[in-house]
Amino acid sequence: MKDMLKLENVQIVNGVKDWIEAIHVGVQPLVDTGYVEARYIDEIIKNTEKFGPYYVLCENLALLHASAEQGVIKKQVAITVLKEPVKFKEDGYDVRLLVTLAASDPESHMQAMQAISNIFSDEKRIAMLVNADTEMEIYRQFIAAANE
Amino acid sequence: MEIKRIMCCCGSGLGSSMLVRMNVEKALGKLGYSGIDVSHSSVSDAVEGAADLFVVGKDLEEFVSSLPSVIILDNIMDMNELETKLSEVLK
Repeated sequence: MKDMLKLENVQIVNGVKDWIEAIHVGVQPLVDTGYVEARYIDEIIKNTEKFGPYYVLCENLALLHASAEQGVIKKQVAITVLKEPVKFKEDGYDVRLLVTLAASDPESHMQAMQAISNIFSDEKRIAMLVNADTEMEIYRQFIAAANE
Repeated sequence: MEIKRIMCCCGSGLGSSMLVRMNVEKALGKLGYSGIDVSHSSVSDAVEGAADLFVVGKDLEEFVSSLPSVIILDNIMDMNELETKLSEVLK
């Protein structure tokens, strides 16, 4: 898991003004660290306009991603915790956790998905994540969940 | 028909379909089934004959309406819903 998630790509953000800004904020760390092209942001926004917010999986969680051909350079994950939730559509869920996925193929990010699955089947862990005070706490939780 | 292959689908075939696949594998184990091949893919691969059973989220319901054997999940992260619907189809 450590090669899929770097501490520098974990961030805590107060809030965003809308879902478009949420995508910008959530994906930018992977642009800055060279794992996706800048267009990955626009591709996710375009996909959303076409298909709706397909990456909002449940209350609190958006798994932001587009396909590998839409600007992925190398597989990686970034995590953004929003102190103030955002909605991706009017009657949609409140989202506090943005997990941005850059997947280079359909299989090799399995461990990252395992971490997400382990965390989101446990309400206590979701609460711990969204209330975390430091990026290090969030990072440690993900690494631990991936290794279960 | 006996179910030997289950395909979980989402728009990109990368994110939620993989999560659902892991949950299906967990649920099958818990329900005591073995020897069923579970895969994940883009919904464009969900064609008759590609699998014996398809599992998709509610948002993609319209894309799989022509397939003979489908489970539609209201909440793709809900293990209870998945287990209930799987055991219904497999019994």
